[in-house]
Amino acid sequence: MWKIRKKLYGVGAVLLIVAATLQMTYIHPKWRKDYSPEAGGLVASQLSPEQILLQLFGFREFLAGILWVRADGFFDAGNYDAILPIIRVCTILDPHNIDIYATGMWHIAYNFTDQEQRSNRRYIPIALALAKDGIKNNPNTYELYFETGWLWYQKIDDNPSEAVKYFQEMVKKKDVLPAREDLLANAYFRDQKIMTGLNWYFHLYKEAIARAKKDTFYANSQIRDTLESNIDNTIIRMIQRGYLAQKRNDGSYEKGDYDTKPPFNVGFSAKVTVVRPRVLRVTGTWNVLPVGCRIRFIVRDLHYPNALPAELDWNKNDNFNFNLPTNLTYMQDQLFCKDQRFDRVENMSKDPTMYPFDSNHYLLEFFYDPAFGAPHIQDKFGWNGVGMTDPNFLNTQIRKGVRVIYATLELSKDQILMRGQWQNRHATVETSNFKESSPTESMTNIVKVPSLRGN
Amino acid sequence: MPAAIETIQLTKTYKSRSLGLINVVDKLDLTVQEGEIFGFLGPNGAGKTTTIKMLLGIINPSAGEGYVLGKEIGDLNVHKVISYLPERPYYYEYMTGMEILKFYGSLFGIRDEKKFQSLLERVNLAGDASKIIAQYSKGMQQRIGLAQSLINDPKLLFLDEPTAGLDPIAHTEIRDLILQFRNEGRTVFISSHELSEVERICDRVAIINKGVIERQGHLDELLKGARIEIIADDVPKETATKFEGPDTIVSYSSNRLIVDIPEGANVGAVIDELRNAKASIVSVIPRRRRLEDLFVETVGGKNAKKLVVESPEVVA
Amino acid sequence: MGAVWNIAATTVGEAIRRRVLLVILMIGVLLLTIIPSLSVLSARSDDSVTVGTMFAVMRGTSALLAIVLTVYMIPNEIERRTIYTILSKPVQRWQFFLGKYLGAVLSLLLMITLMTVFMLVVYAIFQNHHASRLLSLAQQPVMYWIEMSLLAAVAICISTFVTPLINIFLSFGVWLVGTVLNPLYDTIANNSKSIPIMKSISKLIVSLVPNFADYDTKNPLINPGQPIQNQGLYYFTTIFYGVVWIALLLIIGALIFDRREV
Repeated sequence: MWKIRKKLYGVGAVLLIVAATLQMTYIHPKWRKDYSPEAGGLVASQLSPEQILLQLFGFREFLAGILWVRADGFFDAGNYDAILPIIRVCTILDPHNIDIYATGMWHIAYNFTDQEQRSNRRYIPIALALAKDGIKNNPNTYELYFETGWLWYQKIDDNPSEAVKYFQEMVKKKDVLPAREDLLANAYFRDQKIMTGLNWYFHLYKEAIARAKKDTFYANSQIRDTLESNIDNTIIRMIQRGYLAQKRNDGSYEKGDYDTKPPFNVGFSAKVTVVRPRVLRVTGTWNVLPVGCRIRFIVRDLHYPNALPAELDWNKNDNFNFNLPTNLTYMQDQLFCKDQRFDRVENMSKDPTMYPFDSNHYLLEFFYDPAFGAPHIQDKFGWNGVGMTDPNFLNTQIRKGVRVIYATLELSKDQILMRGQWQNRHATVETSNFKESSPTESMTNIVKVPSLRGN
Repeated sequence: MPAAIETIQLTKTYKSRSLGLINVVDKLDLTVQEGEIFGFLGPNGAGKTTTIKMLLGIINPSAGEGYVLGKEIGDLNVHKVISYLPERPYYYEYMTGMEILKFYGSLFGIRDEKKFQSLLERVNLAGDASKIIAQYSKGMQQRIGLAQSLINDPKLLFLDEPTAGLDPIAHTEIRDLILQFRNEGRTVFISSHELSEVERICDRVAIINKGVIERQGHLDELLKGARIEIIADDVPKETATKFEGPDTIVSYSSNRLIVDIPEGANVGAVIDELRNAKASIVSVIPRRRRLEDLFVETVGGKNAKKLVVESPEVVA
Repeated sequence: MGAVWNIAATTVGEAIRRRVLLVILMIGVLLLTIIPSLSVLSARSDDSVTVGTMFAVMRGTSALLAIVLTVYMIPNEIERRTIYTILSKPVQRWQFFLGKYLGAVLSLLLMITLMTVFMLVVYAIFQNHHASRLLSLAQQPVMYWIEMSLLAAVAICISTFVTPLINIFLSFGVWLVGTVLNPLYDTIANNSKSIPIMKSISKLIVSLVPNFADYDTKNPLINPGQPIQNQGLYYFTTIFYGVVWIALLLIIGALIFDRREV
């Protein structure tokens, strides 16, 4: 009996070694690669013990759902600081829940606003980092490419090549919705790749015809018809705006008669007055149309790290973190132009945490990019601003291949906060060409807007 | 004839936290002959079940030797020809009587349904073969237990308290079955403390107390020596005290005297004495010595004498 | 082997009639049926929440079943004295032990199959009834069965030397440790910041504790799309790993049970 026992001890030892070897050499690496729900960061995930327990027992997705509902509650209460960690935990628990990423980045980029409904754009790099994380974890669906591209295209409203990059990835995915695909053409247009955009329309049109033939479902024929009209419009615009003539580069643009000729002088000028501490009145001239133009206006630290002309380095975060630069100020708004002028009060006094005004000097930027303008404005200015000019502020450097309007002014901290020698004085800065205007002044020198209807 | 069971100095020692080492069974020397019904008697906790478990190889002895049917205990081959019915056994309640037999049969590799049927008939359960055990009465459960213990035609049966908790009719049925076993040439080892039962069916008994065998032998020998019991009323107290002696048991209350003397003692002298005291003699009964007496004498120590007198059976 | 199978069969017969097990099973099935309504928590990811939660419920229920089923198995036989009638027959102790264990494994197979059927029916009704999807979902319960067989081996091994109540906690503890082993190991052993001794200790623990997390392969089922190479090999290896551990635990259990005074 003892002999058998001894043998069995030996067998047991061998089995233990076999099991341990299998586990360490094959099973664990393979499990980690293919089956792990990315549990990393469990300890740092700020979950309560019972939540850790829940997730250990496999209720990860369920728990993410519960937390996500709670995050929405915090959002309603305006407690933005509480939301970021929850969003992070949700994405750790359920890294494949598209909704959490999509809604999370949308919340962060759009809805963390001040009292005047201006977004806190310091959050945009964080939103983009979340988007990158989501894409890394869900590379096979179109959805987060779409969401990220849309963030660039619609919210950041700059750097069109970034939107193009994400939309190009988006259309490669099998699950992409046909109605989303023509966004790529629009992004190409902004990125000055007009011909590529048109070709993309044609590509989609071919597919739409095939789809509509195969399935007479109403939406299919609708998509086909929309593409047809888009292609028509684009071709007409390419001709009327002189795009094709410019491309020929043989002087035919200069010789011919196009809607974009002669370049129109927008006559930009601006004045900024500090009316109350942290409250600026921004007025100025813009000789365009009764309505339709929005000029970007930015107030930021003069030495804001990674700042670029009229924007920030949005792409600087690759990893999601909660590090909002709380000591820096960055305010961006749109100046709505009406009757050849703009006049807006930028009140930053209600949100001292969002606009801390910690440093001593501030840059005020005015920026207009026709590539992002409305089509009826582009009909005059062209996609690249060929039909637009300004004797003082035309800039062909800061956005490659596009003629933009860019002007800057400066204010000091004391001026904005009305402190020190500015305690009882209203600081005013203005462009050298600034002339006072009033809304009642008669409309002269209004740009004649050509239209597709021919009047 | 070789012994069916033989133990030599068989000992089982347990460790107890409060009491240290305890010999639950202490140097047991036991011999059971083939073909007899052997009664293994003792109060609760005397070591009966421990002894049986050692004989069955379910627990290992701490010291000593034991042989069952000539083989050392623990030899699995012996299990093919012995069987065991534990005290108040439990059978899987969801099974029918027939299924129980099939299950236990399968452990021997026996799949003979006719045999199972005849076993059921034998224990008078043929009509209840398809009822589940949960619907069986205690007596029926004990009988199905006996049936399962007969599956392998055992040469030796261990029955642990086979009649415990049964009604008188069930008692009789079980007793009859056990007597049949002996007639079939089987050896039956009964552990019990139901003495009247054992006395009726056993050939030989051993009495174990606190792990030690106190008595062992043929019932006839052990119970040798009948007694005579004399009962008289209106006996004066002075007279009653006269009868006290080393081998006499005297009980006196409310002027009634009961004197219990060994056979061969002078009955006439007692009666004369009582007449002289003008007592009225109620009865003079010669009585065989009972196992109960022996048991109580052996196990119960000095309190035994009193107990015997107060036993209602004795008075009646 | 006849005795082993017959003991296993009666064990199954008894297990499927134990009220406490049936109650646990019913609660599990009930939870499985209400899960689709919980998936409103996430409007677009309802499929992954449904599948993830269904599997979590199934795993938890199965583990509870495996533990409650197994820890009482041998102590009950001793308490009811059925073990004596069996061991007084020509049945070796290891045969009895193995029979009991196989009975537990077969009972778990029955119960997990029942839950799987329920889960698939509910899933087919509320989510998706494509045969290929249902078929791929059915793979995970197979892994759970192996996992629970391993857990049952742990519990029956421990049941040879401790009382059932302590065993419940011990087995549950082993399962818990074995479940968090992978993430824990990743956090410590694969982290450049951990100190070397901690790495060694974590490697030792991973070698000495059966790893239950290996059987949790539901993630690709919750989030389909990423192709996995050699899935068959992984399944085969983990099942083999489970069998090795089960054999080891049964040997230990049988050796202890052989010496045990019952």
